[in-house]
Amino acid sequence: MQFEENIRVALRGLIDHKFRSFLTMLGIIFGVASVIAMLSIGEGAKRSAIAKYQDLGVNNIIVRDKQFSDEELEEVRAKFSQGLSLNDAQVIKEVVPGVLRVASQAELSTDVKQADKSARSTIIGITPDYIKMLNIELEKGSFINEDHYKRNLKVCVLGAGVSKTLFQHKNPLGKLVKIDDQWFEVVGIMKSKALFTETVGELASRDMNTDIYVPLTTYMNRFTQENALLSEVQQITIQVASSDKLMEVSELIKGVLQRHHFNNDDYSVVIPFELLKQEEKERQIYNFLLGAIAAISLLVGGIGIMNIMLATVMERTREIGIRRAIGARKTDIMSQFVTEAVAISITGGIIGVILGVSLSLSITWITDVDTYIRLYSVFLAFGFSVLVGVSFGYLPAKNAANLKPIDSIRYE
Amino acid sequence: MLIEIKNLYKNYRMDNVEVEALKAINLQIKQNEYVAIMGPSGSGKSTLMNILGCLDTPTEGQYLFKNVDVSTLDDDSLSAMRNKEIGFVFQNFNLLPRMSSLYNVEMPLMYAGIHKIERRERALKALDRVGLSERVDHKPSELSGGQRQRVAIARALVSNPGILLADEPTGALDTKTGDEIMLLFNKLHQEGNTIILITHEQEIANFAHRTIHIRDGMIHSDNPNDPILVNQKISALVSR
Repeated sequence: MQFEENIRVALRGLIDHKFRSFLTMLGIIFGVASVIAMLSIGEGAKRSAIAKYQDLGVNNIIVRDKQFSDEELEEVRAKFSQGLSLNDAQVIKEVVPGVLRVASQAELSTDVKQADKSARSTIIGITPDYIKMLNIELEKGSFINEDHYKRNLKVCVLGAGVSKTLFQHKNPLGKLVKIDDQWFEVVGIMKSKALFTETVGELASRDMNTDIYVPLTTYMNRFTQENALLSEVQQITIQVASSDKLMEVSELIKGVLQRHHFNNDDYSVVIPFELLKQEEKERQIYNFLLGAIAAISLLVGGIGIMNIMLATVMERTREIGIRRAIGARKTDIMSQFVTEAVAISITGGIIGVILGVSLSLSITWITDVDTYIRLYSVFLAFGFSVLVGVSFGYLPAKNAANLKPIDSIRYE
Repeated sequence: MLIEIKNLYKNYRMDNVEVEALKAINLQIKQNEYVAIMGPSGSGKSTLMNILGCLDTPTEGQYLFKNVDVSTLDDDSLSAMRNKEIGFVFQNFNLLPRMSSLYNVEMPLMYAGIHKIERRERALKALDRVGLSERVDHKPSELSGGQRQRVAIARALVSNPGILLADEPTGALDTKTGDEIMLLFNKLHQEGNTIILITHEQEIANFAHRTIHIRDGMIHSDNPNDPILVNQKISALVSR
């Protein structure tokens, strides 16, 4: 009998027993779906981690001012440290080799007003190099430039969240906003950013969408800290020429800062790239676990196929006997049953792919957990399910073919 | 000679006891004969039928079908023999329940590797021969017992086999329907088919032209039936 004929016989068999075929498929469907969904969760976690660190700059070292209570602050200042300062930034740039750019930022939390609306916001005074070092994307307008900086202009760039609170759907460009008691002109709007939902190293989590950027020079002239003991700047970001120099350069920076702060530990050094590598290592075991669970569910699906196929062979003994009596060879019976198993796994695989893709989409939709489906995971799951189907379909098929025609035709 | 059996033995092992199902069988059947094989249950007539139908092979002795020694054939060749030379008709019809009459009749041709179009044509012709051209798309559950047996006969005829092997073909039917089936066999015999009928009913055996009695695994008697009696029986049924 021809191959094409075999397929037709097998498909007839499946269609004539829709419910049984569906039950057989269930294991494969869920196996494939879970492989795809789990791999997509793993991949999603990886991608959002990378995105998070990209925001901080993979070639950057971040030196962050430590937060102290008033008493602690007095204690530290008594030990001669002035906290993080523009001078620190200057020294790092001049002394440490391998440093490409240095940007300082000063921060202040205050209210911003426009017409009758007001918002709580973090005002960040920055140097123009900032945009070259960090992953900054503008929705509209332009970022703080050299000219704004040099001329101490009262201009600002709004975070997407602030812009929405103050202006709703109006265009804020060229409008004035009142920061603290100063009027600033809006020159740009940031693109909306994913929230920092977790702490990165010693950087606290925060919502970057409520930031407002102003030139650091303007900031220094126009705003005063409520506590004179507070550090001059809150963060110094250092860009290193190449990422494999990160550790080396960070050691040098630590040395310089230690001297300038008289061994006071009033700052922390964060290397996003190192944290990313570390996090990836930690995630490996988690990914392995996800993969193992998925593989086990596929295996169970395969065993399900074998079970139902074995039961089917028993149930269909008469049919096998009839076919053998009218001239079917062992190989004909064998290929009929193997083809059925393959057809079941392919159909189940396709349904599983659809289910898996919709599952991972709805995970993102419902729970905010990032998922990302990579094409290889679809092929992997599908290919594995077909393999499982063929291997677990083989034994029942062999049993079916080896039934003696006289016995099977009298089987009731 | 169509069938020639020489000194054939068949032994079974059942629960470690050797059972001699057939002993020293010698038998010859010519082209276009109509033979009834009779015997009580356990006599070995089913075993003989299985061997005649190439479903089983003898322990000893020779079974020549069209001068081919069947006892030496491998499984695939036996399948091919069943496919091309033997048309089975069973007591319980043995049709595939979920398939149409047409599909059931086409099936032997499918395993013979015959193309779809020719297959369909020949299956329709076979169904027409048994008077079922109106029922080709019906499933067995939608047919009466007699109609089911006709489908089974059409399936047996479709590959133009050397013999029709009917095992108690009327056993599951009422007398009237059974007689109709026997008339159909009579017609097929007149058209040139060789028919072997296995039965334990004398009434049914009387339709054949030769009766072989089997008892305790041996041929007890082998006599031609009286042609006058056979004809009387047939014409009585036809005129009714």
